[in-house]
Amino acid sequence: MGFLDNSGDIILDAVLTDLGRKRLSEGNGRFRITKFALSDDEIDYGLYDKNHPSGSAYYDLNILQTPVLESFTNNMSSMKSRLLSYSRDDLLYLPVILANTNSDAQPFYSSLNTYLVLVDQTTVDALTTDNNSLVAGIFNGFEPQKGLNHIQADQGLDTTELSNEISLADEDDTLVETQYFVQIDNRLGNLRSLTSTQFSPSSIDDDNIATYIFAEADDTGVVSSAATGASSIISGPRGSRIQFKIAASLDTKTSTFLFDQIGTPGTSAITSGTKTLNAANYRFIDSTVRISGVSTGYTLDIPIRFVKKTS
Amino acid sequence: MATSFKSLESGRDSVVTRNLLHEAIPITGTIVSGTYADENIKEFSHGMFQSVYDYPYLSSSANHIFDLTCGYSADSVLSGTGYPAAAQQDKKINIYNQMAQVLVGFDENGAVRRFDEDGDLTDGTKIKDAYFFNFTRLLSKDEIKKGSFTLSLGMNNTYATPFSSLVSVTDYSGSNGYKVNSPAGEYGILYATGSALVGGDVTPDGNGNVKAGLLYYQAGIAVITSSLFQGLLGTDAQMNSAGEDSEAVLTGSSINLNADSIRHRINNISFNNTTELNSTVYFCRVNNTDFNYSANPTYVSSSKMVVKTNSQDLPVSYVTAVGLYSPDNELLAVAKLSEPLKKDPSTEFTLRVRLDY
Repeated sequence: MGFLDNSGDIILDAVLTDLGRKRLSEGNGRFRITKFALSDDEIDYGLYDKNHPSGSAYYDLNILQTPVLESFTNNMSSMKSRLLSYSRDDLLYLPVILANTNSDAQPFYSSLNTYLVLVDQTTVDALTTDNNSLVAGIFNGFEPQKGLNHIQADQGLDTTELSNEISLADEDDTLVETQYFVQIDNRLGNLRSLTSTQFSPSSIDDDNIATYIFAEADDTGVVSSAATGASSIISGPRGSRIQFKIAASLDTKTSTFLFDQIGTPGTSAITSGTKTLNAANYRFIDSTVRISGVSTGYTLDIPIRFVKKTS
Repeated sequence: MATSFKSLESGRDSVVTRNLLHEAIPITGTIVSGTYADENIKEFSHGMFQSVYDYPYLSSSANHIFDLTCGYSADSVLSGTGYPAAAQQDKKINIYNQMAQVLVGFDENGAVRRFDEDGDLTDGTKIKDAYFFNFTRLLSKDEIKKGSFTLSLGMNNTYATPFSSLVSVTDYSGSNGYKVNSPAGEYGILYATGSALVGGDVTPDGNGNVKAGLLYYQAGIAVITSSLFQGLLGTDAQMNSAGEDSEAVLTGSSINLNADSIRHRINNISFNNTTELNSTVYFCRVNNTDFNYSANPTYVSSSKMVVKTNSQDLPVSYVTAVGLYSPDNELLAVAKLSEPLKKDPSTEFTLRVRLDY
């Protein structure tokens, strides 16, 4: 008589993240675990071999041999790609979120593949005589209400195999993301609407990462439905669009401390129209803005560079 | 609606457990006296106690393992006029009172009780002169495991060759015979056994044991009566190279010299410590319809799932971590699997995630 399979129940030891430890130490009830999620950060699904000559049992041989790293205790470094639950098993396409960097939308600053945020008036004046007219990819972080440049990301099925003439909501509304987390280093900047309304983050963690939550149903105008005919970086059916501006923080506006501490001297000249800020005259800090779909879980990191004229 | 979180139902999906973790702590006598030529022994200008390290204490690798000190009660004969050459008498009385105050407490009149050899505070023989072994929290953790303590002492009467006759001091009855009338937690009676006890003042019981002190489990303190070295032995032990007995050294020598004399006779110390682990186990129930897709960027190529050829294929994903989240979606704890775990609509499982405090 054989033994019964006892492998159905797995016990795992968890470690507190730095944020978990911080909240536990606060003792004010904010350390409360109410939900869980699964992730597959280490998995490269490119190793899934659907054409393996030995059959389906061998499709995931390489994936199952993937070594798994120990836990990171930084809350921002773990659980970056979460597993998803959909009510349907027959989905073939999943939505993604892409920065809309098309030339007719919000392209990166030409040569750097990043957005530049000018943090103070001196830096803005070095690149324009008119605050409203910075070239594409450069944001006026000092006075975000001036200028039209902003961050725009579109969500949908990025495939040419499906027509973009149909709305993703019409195809399957469970694939449409209606709520987003946006995270930014709170020491460096904060988020504004396109009309420059200032938002308050829903939380700021121990590493000064501020999390904002925007939904299509709120009145911020940050999240909207992506029209089928609109210009988009999404090739197929579009779901939603998120767009916002970035304002420099008070620290970066008024002090060079962070630029001295974690910044780098300029490496190439920045040009906007006829004006140029030479590499020797500024310092910059590279960071990212992270956009995550609350329900679809997809995460997009958009590079941003905070620039401050120093001489 | 797609979702990447699953709620844990209060009361159904978590349980609080308590586990006791034990470690064996062996302290060999050569560390206490010999191996490091006393470079691992730290003395202080106040002279109230001596600290023992497991390595020369000037090294950053050294760990403080226990302290040694001694004292006697103000009503002990050792504090009387019969011992005019008393050294550090006030400090020894202070040490005794401090230890007694913390470990035995106060009587109904507010006076400090004295240590009692059988734990019956209302009556019986008191331990008025004692050596104290204070084990550090590093070793004793939450408490010394009852019934695991052994102090092996060299009790040959000659100072130069102490280990030719050994006496073992244990709390052998501690696992079921401990006392609870101390303000510092539970304690057990220490018993000495060994051939050197034959002919002493107290006749060993049927098991060859003689009461020799008290062991405070949670406090991590052993109180050894000085009579173990003089009185309980068939022949009193010489406590220093001058051949003085325990009473003479206790009264005439400093606390540091008393500690030296005790270390000279320590053969081995061993016990098991106890760490109390409080854990919450979260039952992360993954049903067949849950978590079959992934938001991993490699999961799709041009939005098309790489694990499917057509829509009829079952989706599949691989779990490598479980995250525990707060209501505001902040990651509070994370657990990793040892290897990727396949998940598709034909499987379901419960991942039990334990968080220790």
